[in-house]
Amino acid sequence: MADDRKKLSMTLGESLRQQGVSRRGFLKYCAATASMMALPPTMVPAIAQALEKAKRPSVIWLSFQECTGCTESLTRSHSPSVENLIFDHISLDYHHTLQVASGDAAEAAREAAMHENEGKYIVVVDGSIPLANPGYSSIAGISNLQMLEETVAGAAAVVAVGSCAAFGGLPHANPNPTGAVSVGEIVKDKPVVNVSGCPPIPTVITGVLAHFLTFGSLPELDALGRPMVFFGQSIHDRCYRRPFYDKGLFAETFDDEGARKGWCLFRLGCKGPMTYNACATAKWNQGTSWPVESGHGCLGCSEPDFWDAGGFYNALSIPDSDLTRKTGYVVGAGVALGAAAGALNRSTRAKAAAKHETVTIDDLDKKS
Amino acid sequence: MSEATLERGMNAFREQMNAPVASFFSSCVNCGMCAEACLFYTETGDPKYTPIHKLEPLRRVWEQEYTLWGRLKSMLGLSKPVTDELLEEWETLIYDGCTLCGRCSMVCPVGNDISYMIRRAREGFVAAGYAPEGIKGASRRAITIGSPMGVKFPALAAQIKHVEADSGLTIPVDVEGADYMALLSSMEIMNFPEYLEALAKIFKQAGVTWTISSEAFEATNSGIQIGSSDIARELVNRVVVAAEKLKVKYVISPECGHAYTAIRWEGPNLIGRPYDFKVVHILELLDELRSAGRLKTEGTEDDRLTFHDPCQIVRKGGVLEPPRNLLNMVATNFVDMNDSREMNWCCGGGGGVSANERAEELRIKAFKRKKTQLDELNVETLVTACANCRLIIEEGLEEYRMEMPVVGLTEMIAEHLVEDEK
Ligand code: SF4
Ligand code: SF4
Ligand code: SF4
Ligand code: SF4
Repeated sequence: MADDRKKLSMTLGESLRQQGVSRRGFLKYCAATASMMALPPTMVPAIAQALEKAKRPSVIWLSFQECTGCTESLTRSHSPSVENLIFDHISLDYHHTLQVASGDAAEAAREAAMHENEGKYIVVVDGSIPLANPGYSSIAGISNLQMLEETVAGAAAVVAVGSCAAFGGLPHANPNPTGAVSVGEIVKDKPVVNVSGCPPIPTVITGVLAHFLTFGSLPELDALGRPMVFFGQSIHDRCYRRPFYDKGLFAETFDDEGARKGWCLFRLGCKGPMTYNACATAKWNQGTSWPVESGHGCLGCSEPDFWDAGGFYNALSIPDSDLTRKTGYVVGAGVALGAAAGALNRSTRAKAAAKHETVTIDDLDKKS
Repeated sequence: MSEATLERGMNAFREQMNAPVASFFSSCVNCGMCAEACLFYTETGDPKYTPIHKLEPLRRVWEQEYTLWGRLKSMLGLSKPVTDELLEEWETLIYDGCTLCGRCSMVCPVGNDISYMIRRAREGFVAAGYAPEGIKGASRRAITIGSPMGVKFPALAAQIKHVEADSGLTIPVDVEGADYMALLSSMEIMNFPEYLEALAKIFKQAGVTWTISSEAFEATNSGIQIGSSDIARELVNRVVVAAEKLKVKYVISPECGHAYTAIRWEGPNLIGRPYDFKVVHILELLDELRSAGRLKTEGTEDDRLTFHDPCQIVRKGGVLEPPRNLLNMVATNFVDMNDSREMNWCCGGGGGVSANERAEELRIKAFKRKKTQLDELNVETLVTACANCRLIIEEGLEEYRMEMPVVGLTEMIAEHLVEDEK
């Protein structure tokens, strides 16, 4: 406990060095963060300086009506350094799914974190809040609404992770039996960032935290409260099938000639044109692929009420051409690096397989 | 003659690095929940037995060679290399301190399958020359003699003769076109010949056509325990060739747990193709016969008794209800242990630990888990369905001076069969 306190009072820079991260490694990390957040290279020293001095911030993660997919998404994050570093260096003081403590001990941890970091901690919320009847979802006898209100009271900012927290998500879909609402409908007096998506892209979650650490403020938001750097452009604008859309070449079924040739999935219900998210550039699973690349249209999961937007396979009624919201989204160097690392890994493993010498009972021993 | 080297071990580690392994390592949140699930940790209180910690050498290879950050750290000289000394130190964690029971994998909040990774890490250890003498010997005997305990067919033939003379039943050998081919484990042949007799009795009553192959009767697979796919493949292949030669429809895995894992789950992957036959565990077959009304029993056991779920058969093999259905057929006073079925605790001797003499002291310590479970229950008899568990439990009970008969489930059923109404 005392040890933990000490750790908490360390700056991020001290903590990193204690873990054997060199100055050079640290600067590399700052550069990756800058490029991911579309900041000019001149910002790198500023980021470094800010992070260097930042205290390990306390994060309280609340889970309400949700499926834990957002936490899954986060813990499956692979991006080269940002997530790892951030998660090694924030103090995740309370998280239902990940913490070992349970019952009273868990709630005590939350309260301790709140008191010790009054006014400075970040609250991350996944899941929506039922207003119809508190009994629909409560934790340790505390209703979701009450827990949110009391935890947010002393927070510096709130990050609503996933479409449930950001817009109500699945629980909010018609007929919304629990009276589910988003975080933003309850929290009015603190900054709220919506990191939507079902689930959201992990890099985006940690990118928001990195921004907060660096600048002590939240990134610029769009009209729906989402960070512009990640949600500034539509899936459609960044889709590699876009040239086919522009030429009017559409797949009509999932297994026709057009589908095989990689034509546009618009007529199969792709919601790319009305969906703002970073899937097409950040991709999923360590930059492996994303839904449209694997042959399925975009569901529009990062948009409000996407469950109620008609069938997933119903084409939008008119091809929407006026959605090009040009913003300064720059493809992060981290993404390119990630792809390169993936290729390198495949070759490392293939080389190892080629070098495999059959293990027989004659070579179980080391001769020396 | 070739030899095991660090270089070969490193190469094997690299080969094992697939998508699940990479995602498991990157997902681990160091919560330590797996420690509480592992009997080696709970019974020793020593944090080095935290399941994920046992994977440190494999993790280092992954980090240093497969992650960008790790490569960067290596370049900056920040990471520690995998050396012979490291492997030597970890050998006891990965072979003596893990039974591949898979209990840790059940509790991990991010779904990491730790025992899967330990199985893979062993590939590197064995190629680098760090495997316990006991399992090395068992593997050598399995390959050269045909069984890890050195049992050759004449020894089995002699047991068959005894059983036939005692019981008046016939035990079919090398019968082409039988429906089922039964496999045995050496342990059953040498220590528990009752099993063979039980099979003959049950199959006769149920009218099952079956056979034993003189060329591949042994089901245990030291290759899996030592962690070498190359050795495991050769052993599985023997069974496959024999079964296809006899043109049987099914191969019956014996009670022995890891034999079941080897032949049923790992086998097709090892030989790279599906079998021409199906593999069933003996308990699955018995339960099928039971529900088809082909198993007629009489009389009951009225002792207070419980069942030890063998990890490989129950947790990892999914045979959850058959043992209970069968037990309830012949027992009136059956009680489940706390943590039974898929959360049951290992006996402490699986995954090659029982073949590793060096591990004995640790194994006895780990057995305290089972002892606690049994103390809570206050039962008179313990039933199980794995010859290895059975032996380990008998030893453990003796060590802790607990008097309690340990019975194999198949034999128990056989004892209650309705005698032929002629
Ligand atoms: S409609 Fe969908 S598939 Fe077609 S270009 Fe747009 S986003 Fe891509
Ligand atoms: S492709 Fe569309 S539906 Fe799928 S994850 Fe991205 S934004 Fe959501
Ligand atoms: S598989 Fe079993 S013995 Fe091995 S680490 Fe996990 S819980 Fe422990
Ligand atoms: S339980 Fe899973 S996440 Fe937790 S330390 Fe073990 S492997 Fe890591």
